[in-house]
Amino acid sequence: MPRAGRARAARRRAAAAALLALLAALGATAARGQAGGLDEDERRELGPAQGAPVSGALLDARAYEIGSLLRCPVCQGLSVADSPVDAAVSMQAKIRRLVAAGYSEEQILAYFEGSYGEFIRLSPKPEGFNLVVWILPVVAVLVGLGIVARRVRAVARPAAAGEDLEAYRRKVREAVEE
Amino acid sequence: MNRTALIVGLLISLPLLVFLGLGFRSDPHTIESPLVGRPAPGFELLDLTGRTVSLAALRGKPVVLNFWATWCQPCIAEHPVLIRAAERWAGRAHFLGVIYHDEESAIERFLERRGAWGPTLVDPDSRVAIRYGVYGAPETFIIDVEGIVREKVAGAMSPSQLERLLSDASRGAAS
Repeated sequence: MPRAGRARAARRRAAAAALLALLAALGATAARGQAGGLDEDERRELGPAQGAPVSGALLDARAYEIGSLLRCPVCQGLSVADSPVDAAVSMQAKIRRLVAAGYSEEQILAYFEGSYGEFIRLSPKPEGFNLVVWILPVVAVLVGLGIVARRVRAVARPAAAGEDLEAYRRKVREAVEE
Repeated sequence: MNRTALIVGLLISLPLLVFLGLGFRSDPHTIESPLVGRPAPGFELLDLTGRTVSLAALRGKPVVLNFWATWCQPCIAEHPVLIRAAERWAGRAHFLGVIYHDEESAIERFLERRGAWGPTLVDPDSRVAIRYGVYGAPETFIIDVEGIVREKVAGAMSPSQLERLLSDASRGAAS
């Protein structure tokens, strides 16, 4: 093989090796991302990620959205996303890792609920006994509307009483004429 | 109308009174841990000397897993209780401390002055604290001989409380 041909073949081999190395590095990064920095126990608890890995602005937005649904464990009425304390910052970092690895909102909320209990959710899940919290305000509004409607009808009655007044006047006129 | 108002009033107020009554039956400061009765989440952490501690390797004896910090006054009050319990239960139970949002140097200085009751584990990114659902310090998880979380205690424990919890945990699921 001429010298120029050998040089071209060597360059092609080097390029192929570089490409393989790049693919291997990308694969390793993706695997790390998929694992989300989780250990065996956590992966068993969470199961496989239900979505695709997320990055960039979408990752920031989704992590904030999910963090705002969880209660900061050491604050009064603040969400994990809005709290500056260490405990909430660690939780928000964990949420971010899970979102980046493709875990869905419900998977992440269930994961934290599995450790902290349902209290960690800022809004109770609308199921079972919790339904009372969601239904009671609607029932209260309906009962209130019912009471208002009855009052309005009661106030409107004098209009009907006007007819009685006319009959009374008629009777008075008849009595005077007699 | 008066009768209707009475019925509506009772329908609204009676359920509220029932909820209030139920509320008195539980301590509002206690948040039940969903981990109680379930296998303790596993972990491998480094202690302050650089030695790896694996929870799985401790199976067979009860484990006292205590999340604490030097900035937490109840943790400081609880420290001598843990030291005495660790001495009494030496060889029969494992005592593990996990640093909860504190500087390693502060913990080391504290332990030099007051003594240690077991390995003190470094928890990067609070991974283990999050896994155990820790709300604050101190919080203690009592893990029985079979690796099941038997109890979570929020706040400082008394000597008799810790003694009772360890006795129960050393008997396993049969207790």
